[in-house]
Amino acid sequence: MKKNIFYLLIGCIALALLAIFWYSVEINKPLLIEISFILGIVIIYVARKNVTDLIEDERSAKITEKAALRTFQVFWVVFCAFSISAVMQILHVPSFPRNRTFEHIPNSPPPEIMPLRMMGYVQLGLLCLMIFLYVGFRLYYARKYGDWETDEE
Amino acid sequence: MHDMTQEDLAQKTGVTRQTILAIEKGKYVPSLDLAFRIARYFDVNIEEVFTYEEEGRTIEID
Repeated sequence: MKKNIFYLLIGCIALALLAIFWYSVEINKPLLIEISFILGIVIIYVARKNVTDLIEDERSAKITEKAALRTFQVFWVVFCAFSISAVMQILHVPSFPRNRTFEHIPNSPPPEIMPLRMMGYVQLGLLCLMIFLYVGFRLYYARKYGDWETDEE
Repeated sequence: MHDMTQEDLAQKTGVTRQTILAIEKGKYVPSLDLAFRIARYFDVNIEEVFTYEEEGRTIEID
């Protein structure tokens, strides 16, 4: 497989995943996009092995390694900070009973501590942060290790 | 010296032309494996292609 065909395939998979994501939101089935996403990534990995004209040498491997390591170093701190605050909300016990005068329904579940929608926003923010961090570090190390160097003569 | 292009050397040593260029410019320090491959391709000792500097930078001299 040629490099350009591989990039075209990635674009097609991304578009398909976007459509599936939209559809799974419409029918409210998160499992559909989860399985599709894993399948899409597996297809990309398999196709990547069959690309003949894409040379990954030690310099590009080093750029990838450094960018991934730095992304991980920053990301785990932010991720743990959010996780700790979420765990803290679970463990937090109010020091006085809540006023349930108006909304008390017998045998009803306890009120949500952190709404699921809010968790979705946090996850989205973390995902975007991870992507931006990786792209940023990749650009930085690519520049550092001479990706955009040109011949002077 | 050998009248060859960066692309030729890159193909012979299994790396990209950009890597050869980055080594020439001192932006990237090659691994020992790649350094030996380059030296062997030119049929010279590794010291004739690369020198070691105190700062830890390796530069190509040929």
